[in-house]
Order: sequence, then structure tokens, then C-alpha cells
Amino acid sequence: MKTGRYAAAAAIGALCAAPAMAADKTLTISVYAFAQDEFKELVYDPFEEICDCELVVETGNSVERMSKIEANKENPVIDMAVMSVHDALALSRKGLLQKIDTSKLSNYGDLFDIAKDPLGNGEAVGYTVYATSIVYRADKVDIQSWADLLDPELAGYVSLPDITTNQGPGTLWMIGKAIGDDDLSLEAPMKLVGEKADDIATFYLRSSQLAQLVQQEEVWAAPVGRFAWSRFRDNGLDMKWAEPEEGQFGDMNVMIMPTGIPAENAELALQFMDFWLSHDIQLALAEALIDSPVNDTVEVSAEAAEGLTVGADLIDSLVFMDPGVILDNRDAWLETWNSTVVR
Amino acid sequence: MFENKNTGLLLVLPAAVFASVLFLLPVGILLSEAFTGSEGGFSLGAYVEFFSSELNNTVFWRSLRLGLWVMLTSAVIGYAAAFSIVQLSPKSRGRVFALIILPLMISPVARTYAWLVILGRTGLVNQVIVGLGLSEEGLQLLFTETAVFIGLLQLFLPLMIIALISSMENMPRDVVPAARVLGANWFSVFFRVILPLTREGLVVGGTLVFAGSMTAYITPAILGGSKVLMLETLLYQRVTVANDYAAASVIAMILVVMSIVTNLLLKRLAKPRNRRA
Repeated sequence: MKTGRYAAAAAIGALCAAPAMAADKTLTISVYAFAQDEFKELVYDPFEEICDCELVVETGNSVERMSKIEANKENPVIDMAVMSVHDALALSRKGLLQKIDTSKLSNYGDLFDIAKDPLGNGEAVGYTVYATSIVYRADKVDIQSWADLLDPELAGYVSLPDITTNQGPGTLWMIGKAIGDDDLSLEAPMKLVGEKADDIATFYLRSSQLAQLVQQEEVWAAPVGRFAWSRFRDNGLDMKWAEPEEGQFGDMNVMIMPTGIPAENAELALQFMDFWLSHDIQLALAEALIDSPVNDTVEVSAEAAEGLTVGADLIDSLVFMDPGVILDNRDAWLETWNSTVVR
Repeated sequence: MFENKNTGLLLVLPAAVFASVLFLLPVGILLSEAFTGSEGGFSLGAYVEFFSSELNNTVFWRSLRLGLWVMLTSAVIGYAAAFSIVQLSPKSRGRVFALIILPLMISPVARTYAWLVILGRTGLVNQVIVGLGLSEEGLQLLFTETAVFIGLLQLFLPLMIIALISSMENMPRDVVPAARVLGANWFSVFFRVILPLTREGLVVGGTLVFAGSMTAYITPAILGGSKVLMLETLLYQRVTVANDYAAASVIAMILVVMSIVTNLLLKRLAKPRNRRA
């Protein structure tokens, strides 16, 4: 009787294990949860067809995904990951990233210069870049400067990104520039925002949340990443994308490879990165309004360009915050923010 | 009940193992971190550091204040609702009871997002305010303590009503008419008859509402945002942004202690009746 039970358990176990053995090679990637249905259709499935491998996709927020890479550094479970450039730098400083062999990336030469080595040590390659500026109700206000966000005309109708978001520090930096203080301690702009805190409707955490607030006329102006512009452009209100005199700031997401992954997985990870950076995939992701391309050979349609950050001129004009500065100041910024702004 | 005493123990074993391994142990580890110093060993340093921050103090008192207000308000509304409901015929009572538990079946996210629309500048509440001429334009109700209070009250009021209904159903039906016949006014009837006989329901409902309000994340996050930080939203910020697990453990400990203390205080309210019983 017992033997029969063990045999049945073994059979069930074998059946469960069978799918895992379907592909000889497995590549595990760690990505943002954003637009995964589209990524599956445009990137993952086509890659699986050409690599004869199984792609395992893990999603989560940046902190969770970074913690997983760090916790498994002795026995890596992630072969390749995408994240913001400053999060990549945080892992790099802990010695958790390996150099990327760019000689195996056939599309590397086509990338914009800023995407080729964002960390300056060969441990990351940019795959998308985006601008952040101010979306605003043109029928209510006119935005010419980042300082206009704190204009009395907008009191109660403006939202700023929380300091904990990717757009938060950049927004404060640009406000600082507008008031003549671009010190990266951000103390002056935080003091100003703190004094005007009652005039700020809310400090938003997600662009989807902001889109709803603008839609229900709670907010007339707010800084937002270009990747979310289409949510505002098509909301039926008179929305405009500002081109402030201090400029727009840029941010970049990068691809990285943890140290210690098996050589075979590293080859596969490089193949996947090259695939993602290729003209066709970058174009497909751009046309689907998911990621702005970093491949200089990509020419997106005029309609898609309206929702993205495209063109060498525009990208050259963006103001980028040094990822090292973000990393070195993040805790101090949060403390200052908590004591002077949200209180 | 069981032929063999061990049978009962064996039956409870899976649940006990599950609770121990997946709940008590991790919670114990988390809470012990709140009493561990930077060099190991027992320390209250994390608490001193936490309460030395003006923001943390503000968030602590705000959370406590809102938790108590939600509990008290839900008790007031809950008593009125429960008293009316138990007077109904069993059939009608069942229908009303179903209406009360209906919101509990809807996701808190959906319920909270509804408030985002209702309390917005163009929402229902502001339409009424402007319509009545109380203000020329819509007021900012969102991202205020009032908005968080309303969201939490709507979220947890059903729990208080259910607990009080259950308690009132066990109350002898003739005690209120008897008190009235003997000349008691409604104030005396409530404080000297209904309240003492339903204190256990108040303890259960009050604990659930207070603990729920203190530990809710979605409602304060959506309706309050970072301008109305609560302990739970502060905890999330400390973990996901600052990677500060020491402060997060302190907040978790505070939440647990506050819920236990509230339960004990409410139980003390119920004690006089137990002594007489």
C-alpha cells in the first residue's frame, strides 16, 4: 500500500517537473511589472523562438528585486535585470554587477552615447531614456518655468512627485535652478516647497494616480515622465506639455547582469540584451508607446513620437542628475523632506 | 468529546504548526529586531531614535487620534444602527444585515477609489456644498485628515455594527421597555441598560475597528497621500525607500502594542458586568 502511494507521489512529481525540462536552457530576468502583456508579445515570445530557451520573468518593485539579487549573491537566481540607473549604481557599489561584454552586443554601436556606459564602469547599458517636464491645463494656466508650479495662481491645484519617486529629486532640482539655487542638497527648493505645502494638492506616488486627479480637475499642473504623457494628452481636457526655460530633466533605465551567473546564462543574457536593443524591438516598443528608444537607427512614427522622448536633439538637451549624487543624497533628502515639507 | 485525548491534539497540530511557522515565528523575529541594538544585544535605541523625530511623533499622534475617532464614531453610529436593526422582523433583519456586510465583499481599493471621486472638487460632496451656497467653488477635501477619517469609517463601520448586533441579539428583549416603564429616560436606558449588556460587542467591535484603522494602508495612502502620513504609510516608506528595517520594526511593534492596549482598555469597560454575572 505504502509503495503504491510513493509511486503515485513520484509520478505526480515527475509530471510536475516535466514542463521545466521542456527547454534545455533557461534565462531568468527581473523587470518592472509595467506593461508585461505587451513585453511578452513584443519581446519575450519572439526571443524564446530564436533562442530555443525558456524565459522566466520575475517582476516587482525596485527594492524587492534589488534585495533578491543581493540576498542570492552567492548563488544568483537572476541572470539579467532592468532598473533605474541609480539603483544599478547601488548594486554596482556593492560589487554585485559584472562588466557587460559589449563586443557581443551587435547593436551597441547604434546606441546613443549616453546609453552606452551610464555607470562609467561598463556594468550597465541603457535601454530607454525619458524626459520629465510639466503637464498642465492650458485653459487654466501658462507654464514657462519650473517656478511657475508654485505660483499663487496654481495654489491648491498643483501636484508634485513625492521625494521617493524617480521624478521627485529631479523636480526639486529644477525648481532650485528656477530660483537660482541648483545646489544638490536641494535644501532651498525643499524649504520653498515646505513653505507652500498647503498650496500643493498632494505629493503623488504614481503617474496613474496623478492622471485620475487631473481627469477629475483636482490638479491643473504637475511634473510627469514623458512615458505617461499619453494618459494626459487624450483625457479630453486642454492639456499641454511644458518646455520650461530651465529645460527638462532626463532619466534612464538600464540593463545589468549580476556577478556569479553561469557562463552559459551570461551568453544567453547578452543575446537577450542585444535582441532588446535591436532596431526592430526598440521600434516595436516605441510604437506601442512603452519605451522611448536609445537605438539611433530607430525612426518612430510622428504619432508615436508625440508620446515619447525621441530625437538626438531633444535627448542632448535633457539635464541628467548624476546617479551617484542621487545615491549619496537619497537618505538625507528624505530626512530633509520629512522635516521641512510633509512634517 | 474525543475517545482519545491525543486525537484532539493531532487535529489542532496542523493549524498550530502553520500559525507558529508562518506567523508567530516571523512576527517574533521582526519584533525582536525592534529591541536589538546596532551591535546586537537588548537596546531601546531604535525607540529613542524613532520618537526623537518630530515627524514620527506627529504621525504617531495623528494615527492614534484618527484611530480613536473612527472607533468612537463607529460606536455611536453602530449603536443606533444595531438597535434599530434588532427591532426588525427576522426577515427584514436578514436583508438589512446582508446590506451591511455587502461592502465587506468589495475590495478596499475599489471603495477607497470611489471616495477619491466623491470627495473630489467636482465630486458629489462639493456639488452639494456649492449648490447650497456654502462655498463659491469646490473645496479641497481630498488629501486631508477628514478624507482619511471618512474612508476609514466607511471601511470599518460594518465590523462595529455586526459586533453590536450580535451582542444586542443576546440582550433580553424586555429590558428596555421595562426600564422605560419604570421611568428611565433614553439617556439612562442607554448608559444603564443597553451599554452594560452589550459591552462585549463593543469590546470586539472597538478592537477590530481601532486595530483596522491603525493598520490600514490603502485608504490613508490614497486619500491622505504623503501629506497625511499614518504609521502604516510611514512604515512602508521606511522599508521601500530608506531600507530602514529598524524603524519599520519599531512601527510594527507600536501598532501591535496599541492594538493590544486598546483591547485591554475596552475589556476593562466590560469587567463590571462580568463581576455581576
